[in-house]
Amino acid sequence: MSDNEQLMELYQQLLVLRHFDEFCYDLKMKDLIMNGFHPYSGQEAVAVGVCSLLRGDDVVFSTHRPQGHSIAKGSNTRAVFCEMLGRRGGVSQGIGGPMQWIDKPHNFFCGSIVGSGLPIAAGVALAFKRQGLDSIAVCFFGDGASNTGAFHEGMNLAAIWDLPVLYICENNQYGEAMPVQEFVPVSRISQRASAYGLNGISVDGMDVEAVLNATTDAVAQLRAGNGPVFIEMITYRFRGHYGGDPEHTYRSREEIAVWRNRDPLLLARTRLLARGFSEETLDELESNVRAEMEEDMEWALEQPFPTVEQATDHVMIPLGQD
Amino acid sequence: MARMSYRDAIRETTAGELRRDESVYLIGEDVGRWGNLFGASAGLLEEFGPARICDSPISEAAMTGCAIGSALYGMRPIAEIMYIDFITIAMDQMINHGVKYHQLSNGQVRVPVVFRTQGGVGMRNSSQHSQSLENWFVNVPGLIVAMPSTPADLCGLLRSAVRSDNPVLLIEHKSLYFTRGEVPEDDYTIPFGVADIKRPGEDVTIIATSWMVLQALAAAKTLADEGISCEVIDPRTLWPLDKQALVDSVKRTKNCVVVTEAPAEGGWSGEAASVVHEQCFAELRKPVRRVCGMRTGIPYGTDLEKAVVPDAGWICDAVRELLA
Ligand SMILES: Cc1ncc(C[n+]2csc(CCOP(=O)(O)OP(=O)(O)O)c2C)c(N)n1
Ligand SMILES: [Mg+2]
Repeated sequence: MSDNEQLMELYQQLLVLRHFDEFCYDLKMKDLIMNGFHPYSGQEAVAVGVCSLLRGDDVVFSTHRPQGHSIAKGSNTRAVFCEMLGRRGGVSQGIGGPMQWIDKPHNFFCGSIVGSGLPIAAGVALAFKRQGLDSIAVCFFGDGASNTGAFHEGMNLAAIWDLPVLYICENNQYGEAMPVQEFVPVSRISQRASAYGLNGISVDGMDVEAVLNATTDAVAQLRAGNGPVFIEMITYRFRGHYGGDPEHTYRSREEIAVWRNRDPLLLARTRLLARGFSEETLDELESNVRAEMEEDMEWALEQPFPTVEQATDHVMIPLGQD
Repeated sequence: MARMSYRDAIRETTAGELRRDESVYLIGEDVGRWGNLFGASAGLLEEFGPARICDSPISEAAMTGCAIGSALYGMRPIAEIMYIDFITIAMDQMINHGVKYHQLSNGQVRVPVVFRTQGGVGMRNSSQHSQSLENWFVNVPGLIVAMPSTPADLCGLLRSAVRSDNPVLLIEHKSLYFTRGEVPEDDYTIPFGVADIKRPGEDVTIIATSWMVLQALAAAKTLADEGISCEVIDPRTLWPLDKQALVDSVKRTKNCVVVTEAPAEGGWSGEAASVVHEQCFAELRKPVRRVCGMRTGIPYGTDLEKAVVPDAGWICDAVRELLA
């Protein structure tokens, strides 16, 4: 169990991710975020719990739903807002957009091809291993990604070469509109890890302390050179697959309500109250975080769009300088 | 100068790069114990050990992604795709990821990876082991595509590829591995985007790639006996393309034939022909002629596979018609 101070820090991060996401949702509804925004609300405990254990030199690969992972890894919220909005000042200077950016100073990568991160994360881990470093690579992906060839090829490669990769499958119950039971024939996605000789585990991904506990052991194991590790985080996305999708076609209000009762922010807050923090302290923290996110958003909305010239910058290193 | 085979040129150059730079490693299917299907890495496992001569599982996507990921953090991989036909499995990793990262990081990330593979006919391997797929890659912004036709060009271009921080696709040809040529002994490199005149001539410019360069040279020899002087140009890299070399040559000869083993439609041969039409329109006596592989899957068997791709005879016929 984490101490009070640590839980408070995690709660603050959960709030940052939630309010960031909800502002993005509004921006999407106003068409200011153009396309490609995939809300992370509901899944925050996973990004926050896992990334709180990482060092700056550890590397994270994420998906088409990257904002939570990126911010939890250290990306500046203004820079992520800008990227969502396609503005200069964004993590990829407004060229990548809501599902593909690279934040090199924070060793963060993401991309919108489902499943593709697993082999690349293995390669990063290979480099660390060859160089004798104890840095690790972390790869987040969804339940849907576990049906791609890259998932199986990548995990196998990491397993045969004992690479220090932490594979985090965020099972949010759906791949777009398709429920996971319809496309995965095993009851737990973590069972798939056993095909690669790994002891995959499934964890309550709504509970930030459960995420933290499971991941603490995993990170220690990886730094000691015994990788890879596979963890399935059981979670749920509160919003549609993308901002504004026709949710009613595939899930009921009742189902959403059941999961909202297990909101990761609510769970953490309840625990903080039980440990003696006051309602006022937690409310004040939340309104401060919200105000800060709003300020960051307002700042981002002032930033310019890239020019056409900038859109063709850095396609490659100029010949002769490469 | 040393006389060596194209296959040995690959092995010697790879070994040299592995000795020169600790961060270079080779990854591919059976590059270690077997030393590659053609022997292009024979003996390297013994010298460099399994960490640097890495036998990969049969997982083209994973091997390619692994190469890319390691290149992001200090390694300089040479990833070998056994046949270019298998590159379809690896293309997401190459094109959507490896080639995009430099731009997506606003220039902060470099991906120094070499993808080595081989295409074309010559092993009687039929439609899934004999294709010429280079055209797909020429259309990808950010990717360098090299197709050396001689041992000397292979050495210089492979060194440049390993030393470049840009991703490079270097496509060998299975019918070239046991051809031989003179190779300078010094540690030279050949810059990307510099064509080479393989045979100077006056009456017609033949632009050819990879194994087709040898066919073009054979045709030039035959035609010389008929009093026709052919200039044979090998662009060596399809992109970047040395447009100036093509244009300078055609402005002199006023006639142009483009030869590729790949089918013409939607291909680089059309790109080369367009460059010549755009920049030599006034000088050209007739439109550029293209001599390309038939639009078919490569059939099985010694005679048939050779029958559907250009040879010296096809090139001679095209040149004769053009100059008639
Ligand atoms: C290779 C590929 N196929 C299809 C898509 C379209 N697509 C985008 S997200 C998505 C669902 C992914 O599901 P999952 O992996 O569970 O992640 P989640 O969206 O639930 O976070 C699909 C099919 C894609 N981006 N990439
Ligand atoms: Mg999902």
